[in-house]
Amino acid sequence: MRYLIILFTGILLFASDATLEIVKSTDNRPSVAIQDASEFGDVRTRHKFFRIVMGDLKVTAHFKVDDTYRQSRYDAMIDPLLKESDYLFRYRFREDEQQRLYLDAKVFDIGSKSAVFERSYRVSNRARYPFLIHRAVIDFNDFLEMPSVDWMNRYVVFSQYSKPKSADIIISDYTLTYRKKIISGGLNIFPKWADRAQKGIYYTKLGNRPTLYYYNIYTGEERRVISSDGMLVCSDVSRDGNWLLLTMAPSGQPDIYRYNIKSGVKERLTFYSGIDVSAQFTGDERKVVFVSDRMGYPNIFLKKIGERAVEQLVYHGKNNNACSVHGKYVIYTSRESDNAFSSNTFNLYLVSTQSDYIRRLTASGVNQFPKFSIDGESVIYIKHYASQSALGIIRLNYNEGFLFPLRGHRIQSIDW
Amino acid sequence: MKKSLFIAAVAAALLMSGCSQKKPEVDMTKQETTESSSGTTASTATEVDSGVNSVIGTEESASDITTLPEDERMAQIKELEASAKKIYFDFDKYNIRPDQEPRVDEDARLFASDAAKDLTIKIEGNCDEWGTDEYNYALGLRRAKSVRDALAIKGIDENRMVMVSYGESNPVCTEHTKECWAKNRRVEFKLLP
Repeated sequence: MRYLIILFTGILLFASDATLEIVKSTDNRPSVAIQDASEFGDVRTRHKFFRIVMGDLKVTAHFKVDDTYRQSRYDAMIDPLLKESDYLFRYRFREDEQQRLYLDAKVFDIGSKSAVFERSYRVSNRARYPFLIHRAVIDFNDFLEMPSVDWMNRYVVFSQYSKPKSADIIISDYTLTYRKKIISGGLNIFPKWADRAQKGIYYTKLGNRPTLYYYNIYTGEERRVISSDGMLVCSDVSRDGNWLLLTMAPSGQPDIYRYNIKSGVKERLTFYSGIDVSAQFTGDERKVVFVSDRMGYPNIFLKKIGERAVEQLVYHGKNNNACSVHGKYVIYTSRESDNAFSSNTFNLYLVSTQSDYIRRLTASGVNQFPKFSIDGESVIYIKHYASQSALGIIRLNYNEGFLFPLRGHRIQSIDW
Repeated sequence: MKKSLFIAAVAAALLMSGCSQKKPEVDMTKQETTESSSGTTASTATEVDSGVNSVIGTEESASDITTLPEDERMAQIKELEASAKKIYFDFDKYNIRPDQEPRVDEDARLFASDAAKDLTIKIEGNCDEWGTDEYNYALGLRRAKSVRDALAIKGIDENRMVMVSYGESNPVCTEHTKECWAKNRRVEFKLLP
């Protein structure tokens, strides 16, 4: 009995620290089969829709999802061959005369042979079809009272190179399938959500003088925030939206500044003569995590705002040049081969500001641009492997990763 | 027939010039608004040539580059720009390599020459594709700063130099080879009148 209690306590402790890998011995998740009853689109389109439905259900990490593509009529009886699954997720895409796209979703409990969930969704523009699927999967997940996956409905904003010295800013769904260009013309880089409700972004336009702009994605209102010689990037925004962490280089020296949106007052936070960049709030926004080359190579550091002392946060790797912070957790990219002549591998690692554990999140390829979801339970990143690119999602609490293939130009920076 | 065509053309030209006169009026209003908001108006403009006006002399001229017609001047600037040496850097480094020192010397001589001494020097730092996010842009900027500091030591006025980093956004070579990455880790110059 005593051993049992120790083991149980151990599991609780482990579960409360995301840096520890959770290895499941049994899989008790409900299983889901999928059936397509669409009346819209050719075979290719229907398969594309199916991949997103399957992807969304898998990314929740709450289900064992059957990969088989099956077709059916929307009002057909349950196929007896599906009896091994717990649920059947049947969906139908259809279009009305005004070319509005509908998604009907119906879920059957196979054990009781009854439909337990049925909803319809609509978008006015068929390009927005991924949001239909995300909404249906969120609602189905909520219906089964699983932990929330509302983050699926949030936008991702990213900058993408279009040609040399030129990059556009695009908003997309979390799989980067739906895309809408919002800023173009010139070099528009480092977009950052300005508020938690995702109404506006900050971004840098690199003209003769780097300038930070605010852009409201719904009204198109744009205003200049601040300019600086050399370099200017908004690295983080406080929870209330009133403070920005900026990297500025008024004399060619990249340092971190805290900037108050209301008063326009800026305060320099770092004073090292090398590179200090990518600051993000942590510890109730009284501390910042940032990237610096003060050890002779890029690494991750922590400092309290208003104090000069700097603490090294990561004691692993020789080239850790980007990070994402959520509460006490930090994900960083580490270059595993640090010379220009070997094949390059960048892996993602998770650490905590309050413990010494390091958890490796990826194992191969070039893994870059990690960003936490708003609830800190998932991580989005870009993976390049064997001349292919993909958007990756890691579900930290479930120790599962998913990849969505990517096409198009190279991504400059991403925020979720 | 020819005469009527000519008259029509003149009339059209007059019409067009009439139309085009209206546009500057709109622009002028805009300008007045912005100027008055900053507290400066055309009537209070500071006279900057009163001193030189009272100097007694004969012929007035400026250096060659500013008296050249616009196109020729731009062509000359482009030529100067093309003759500037690019400075290359080691992987993940921003210090100037010993083998690049002579190239910095050449650039310093070029920028101090009569043809270039009135031009602003825009120092552009660039990186290979291997960095990500802000660090790469900062690395590009530090490369630009290393070159600016070296040029300043060699006598180029710091006020003539501006720096910008293009990170990995401006490659000269897009193949995925080590030779190509080495070509992209560079500082190059733009000369501005």
